[in-house]
Amino acid sequence: MFGKASSSQLSVSLGGSGALSHVYIQHPPLRCSIPGSKGLFYDDGNKLILSATSDQVFSWKTVPFASHAAPTSDSISEGPVLSIRYSLDSKFLAIQRSNHEIQFWDRETGETFSQTYRSETESILGFFWTDCPKCDIVIVKTSGMELFSYDPESKSLHLVETKRMNVSWYVYTHESRLILLASGMQCKSFTGFQLSSAGIIRLPKFEMAMAKSEANNKPVLAAEDVHIITVYGRIYCLQVDRIAMLLHPYRFYRDAVVQQGSLPIYSNKIAISVVDNVLLVHQVDAKVVILYDIFADSRAPISAPLPLLLRGFPKASSSSSRTGSKDTDSSEANDMSDHETIIYGDNWIFLVPDLICDVANRLLWKIHLDLEAISASSSEVPSVLDFLQRRKLEANKAKQLCLVVVRTVILERRPVSMVTRAIDVLVTSYSNSIKTGSYFKGIKSEKAPTPSVSSMNISTSVVDESIRREDALGKSIKHGSSSGVENESLNRSPDFPVSDPEENVRLENSNDHHSLGTKADTENFTAGETSQSEVQKLSSQSQLVGPSSSPLNASISENLESQAISASISPDEMYSFVFASVEEEMAGDPAYFVAIVVEFLRSCNVERIKVHPNIYVLTIQLLARHERYAELGLFIINKILEPSKEVALQLLESGRQNIQTRKLGLDMLRQLSLHHDYVLLLVQDGYYLEALRYARKNKVTTVRPSLFLEAAFVSADPQHLAAVLRFFSDFIPGFKNTADHTTYCRILNEMNSSIAA
Amino acid sequence: MGLSSANTVVNEGFQLCVFDLRRGQQEGQELDKILFFHPADLPFSTQLSVIGLSEGLITFTRLFKGIAFVSCRIFSPEAACEVIEAEKHSHVFHQAEQDIWMVMVVDKSKESDAIWRIDALRRVLKEVHSLFVMFHGSIRSLLDKEPSGGLVRPHLYNFIMDYLSAFHKRSPWDICCCDFLVGKKIKLPSFRDCLKERGTVQMLTVGREAALEVQSLVRVLESCAGNTPCYSLVLFQDLLVSTTLSPDDTINLFTYAVLRLAPHALLSRASSWSYLRKGNSASQIAAASVLASSGPVSEQFYGSRDTSPHGGEHSHHVVRPLQLNKWYKGTDGFLVTDIWGPEVGIMVSATPTVWLQQTDEKMYLCVYQHKSLTLILLFPISSILNGEQGLSVVKQQIVENASLKMLKVEEKLSKGWGGENAYHVGGYRYLLVDGDRNVSRASPPGKVTTLTKVNIDPAEEGFAKRNKSKGTNQLESLISLSNLREEVDLEKSREIWDDPGHDKDLEICIRAKNNAWVIARTTRGKELYMVLEKANETLLFASDAVEKFSNRYCSGAFSLD
Repeated sequence: MFGKASSSQLSVSLGGSGALSHVYIQHPPLRCSIPGSKGLFYDDGNKLILSATSDQVFSWKTVPFASHAAPTSDSISEGPVLSIRYSLDSKFLAIQRSNHEIQFWDRETGETFSQTYRSETESILGFFWTDCPKCDIVIVKTSGMELFSYDPESKSLHLVETKRMNVSWYVYTHESRLILLASGMQCKSFTGFQLSSAGIIRLPKFEMAMAKSEANNKPVLAAEDVHIITVYGRIYCLQVDRIAMLLHPYRFYRDAVVQQGSLPIYSNKIAISVVDNVLLVHQVDAKVVILYDIFADSRAPISAPLPLLLRGFPKASSSSSRTGSKDTDSSEANDMSDHETIIYGDNWIFLVPDLICDVANRLLWKIHLDLEAISASSSEVPSVLDFLQRRKLEANKAKQLCLVVVRTVILERRPVSMVTRAIDVLVTSYSNSIKTGSYFKGIKSEKAPTPSVSSMNISTSVVDESIRREDALGKSIKHGSSSGVENESLNRSPDFPVSDPEENVRLENSNDHHSLGTKADTENFTAGETSQSEVQKLSSQSQLVGPSSSPLNASISENLESQAISASISPDEMYSFVFASVEEEMAGDPAYFVAIVVEFLRSCNVERIKVHPNIYVLTIQLLARHERYAELGLFIINKILEPSKEVALQLLESGRQNIQTRKLGLDMLRQLSLHHDYVLLLVQDGYYLEALRYARKNKVTTVRPSLFLEAAFVSADPQHLAAVLRFFSDFIPGFKNTADHTTYCRILNEMNSSIAA
Repeated sequence: MGLSSANTVVNEGFQLCVFDLRRGQQEGQELDKILFFHPADLPFSTQLSVIGLSEGLITFTRLFKGIAFVSCRIFSPEAACEVIEAEKHSHVFHQAEQDIWMVMVVDKSKESDAIWRIDALRRVLKEVHSLFVMFHGSIRSLLDKEPSGGLVRPHLYNFIMDYLSAFHKRSPWDICCCDFLVGKKIKLPSFRDCLKERGTVQMLTVGREAALEVQSLVRVLESCAGNTPCYSLVLFQDLLVSTTLSPDDTINLFTYAVLRLAPHALLSRASSWSYLRKGNSASQIAAASVLASSGPVSEQFYGSRDTSPHGGEHSHHVVRPLQLNKWYKGTDGFLVTDIWGPEVGIMVSATPTVWLQQTDEKMYLCVYQHKSLTLILLFPISSILNGEQGLSVVKQQIVENASLKMLKVEEKLSKGWGGENAYHVGGYRYLLVDGDRNVSRASPPGKVTTLTKVNIDPAEEGFAKRNKSKGTNQLESLISLSNLREEVDLEKSREIWDDPGHDKDLEICIRAKNNAWVIARTTRGKELYMVLEKANETLLFASDAVEKFSNRYCSGAFSLD
């Protein structure tokens, strides 16, 4: 089974995209063209893409991302539409009609009411729904921010609080629950609030750095130059400084906002996406994307700038599709307008966190990371592994890639120091995932019952159904990223041979996980809501936090959710997918392999992770095969190979050629108090008297007397035979009546008489 | 020869010779047999008579293959003799190589110091030969190279004399590595050393974490040599921590390291390189005086009688690896010596080389030392290109890649080390030998001496004050143990004869004078000897004590019933 699995994993890496890109969008996109549409809107609270016609609103779910998703619709009255957002419980629909009016629909009753401002001095900049306990909706105006709650009695909004200040513009993302209000001449003074389920946190005022071009020309910061991103549960704000051509990341803490280095940019137009906690900086003019993993202190990009790839477009090469596809006559291609695949076209709008909306063609693309390509692009194996280990979205793929990478470096006999660092990365990651419990979550779902292959298709549809069911329940925020993962794995499944049992297991997992999901997720959700401290503890393990400042957390639920499956590799998996398979392929001198195993054990020991004895057994076999018994002995005596029954038995086995090694195995049995095996082996080796003494001392009664008698008989010493007989007669009641007793008494008599004769 | 008479007195009671049965078979050429004789100034007739007797006994006992001779212990299928006890002497035999024998003749005397265990003496012979082979290759190969013996004689002479003379003294209480030549008298391992086992290694007990660090270091060292196979030996103080060598090679190198390379062996001369370069240290003078005193004869025999092409050319270089105080620490952390140097005084000295028994390969010997940590690395000469240059590249690699790890390991080991008396077990004076692994552990020498002396330190636990009036009995326990060990040795060799490959259990408890228990236990290849003084008189106490010890320190190996 291992062999099979490994071959399929290899095909994963080899079958990866040959094109030079690390990020791709998968064809087909989600088409949201509705006749008579006035425009597309994105509701990031509910992750919906909305299209409004004169009397209807169509909405498509973007999570899970499916190109065939069918829209749902609501009727609205006619009028201008500046923005649309569903309430988080999907009961209300809010439409901004003008700078002074927002209209609300109760979707159940169809009743409407409006919030209007008459004042000419202030206008509405925007609004959003929130899950903050104090209020339901926030309306941002030029004069400040107003927090409202819905009052079901009066069926109207009730003003809870007003934060007065001058606001030029604002940015808000639902995933961070963070709003930044810009003010000042250059719009570079910011006031921030986090309106999370835990309450409202006011951030300290701060200013963003702006380089000056000329003495008196002060640049003004625009809303599109500021991006709020959420990576690894931390909230950052990225500010584009067009003059300096730099991107400044600011990290948000409760009591401070800290600028953390800056990233160079190479384009006047910059777009930001976050896919699976990886920051993607789209250099729109240059048509390339640069990837950053803002986890460590390093601000170096993961890899060189490469273009975004359109994958799965039904043409021979995607590059030619860029220029248009007039001469293709395949029905599919005709189906699409030729200009819809212009990468980084002017019509592209980048949505938080990982969507691209082609406004002109009414298409929605989802951005994916090409983990294979990324892992293949760097020779710095430890950092690649580190990167892969942090991937949550395609955890299984990342895990397989990690295994392939490790196996390859060992087979290529890279320097031990380098392999050591690689192993350290994996072991540390596993240890962390054990501590946070995410590994066991993964295991739990992996341990789910695994029905036959044929059930695969059925269960796939089950997934979809359950998703819809959840939709109806209105838990749409919740199942967000988890179903994203599943969807990912389902999409991926055609890449794998269907006969591969591993894959089936994985697929079933996701189903199982999901069907449980509705209930379990809700539980998670409430747990997450109520115990923020716990969540902070969780997230702080993966964070570099200043001693005094407690970091702002992004959406708690997502945080929990995303850890459900981790890419970490347990020592068992290391054994079966790396060491066992590598050992088969590595012939000759074991020194290198032993060195790797030692480093692995050391690493596990440092992290206090228990190692399965099979790796010890493997090491023993290897050393014994090359007759390095001295080292083997040292390993056993120093307990580098920890004692266990498996190890002891292997020592006995390997000790057939080397008595010292065999004795080590025997001693180990004794030290493990495996009395039965110890006595049995002593008898087998002809030490039957010692065995008897030992048996009596440790009350071993499970070894048959005939074995002792036989051994004594073989030694041809009548005295000993008599002693053994006597022993059993004395200590085993009723032994005198057994056949053994009579047989050996007769034999003893014969022996004695022959001696006498 | 005026001095020689004095010398005979000096070396009274001790003769050591090496001879080759294949040589000098013809009348008048008997001298050819002698490869080494100590004392060298004995008249040839005397030397020949010793060798003649030995040869006769060897030939004679060979006739009786398989039949026990009166006092000849038969131990090997070769059925050669191990020892002959005469009224005044003991002849200890060791067949070093095919037809090459080493014989030690010791006087029996009433002196208590002259109570020795034959096996301990044989182990001396074995050790000197093993070391010789490690540095020079086998005696036979040297003979083959130079059939006249012109090569092997100076080598043997220098080597054995260095061995006998130069064992330097570690501490006043330390009688383990005693110098054989105290003053002008060769001091052989006596009953005082019966809680020692020559030819075994002493290991440092390390925890799993430290052991993993050590192994990690060892692997890094191995990888520094690239594709060349590399063997390593790691010592902490004078205890073995790790080895990748075969057991025999490990013992040899370990012995050498403890004698000459370990930090304490270097310590005595600290940073006195300049002083050394003058060529003479005190101990060398002492050794030299012995050599000088036997000058005329040895000159004649080991030098001038040389009929080789190098004939008469005394100065042709004989490597003397056992010379004292020849190693010093270089600036890069590697130990350097000029022993192997082409000429004394040339700054760039040749890298030492040794022969490995396991592979019969000549290896470069590199020794790195960091504080208490000594790393011995062996690289096959054949696989290092460019000789010295290639080696220096490897050394540089090691310093670059492994020095950080070495620091870490040294720190870890010193943190865990219990000091000189780490392996002292209160109330016990013991020796634990694991014959399978060639490992032994014993009470620290400082503690053993408390058995032999009138109690110096009243606070000394376990062993209460000795009655001074019983002065004569003070050594009693060790003498008893020595005798007991003699018995066990006998039993063991009988066992090998009776039933090879089958270890027998053995338990002997003897109530000695001084209210002491002298105990020997052997089981499945492991041996335990102990002395319990001022102990309760019941046998139960003794066996309880063994049981307790076994459970605590030998993971129950001796508590089988």
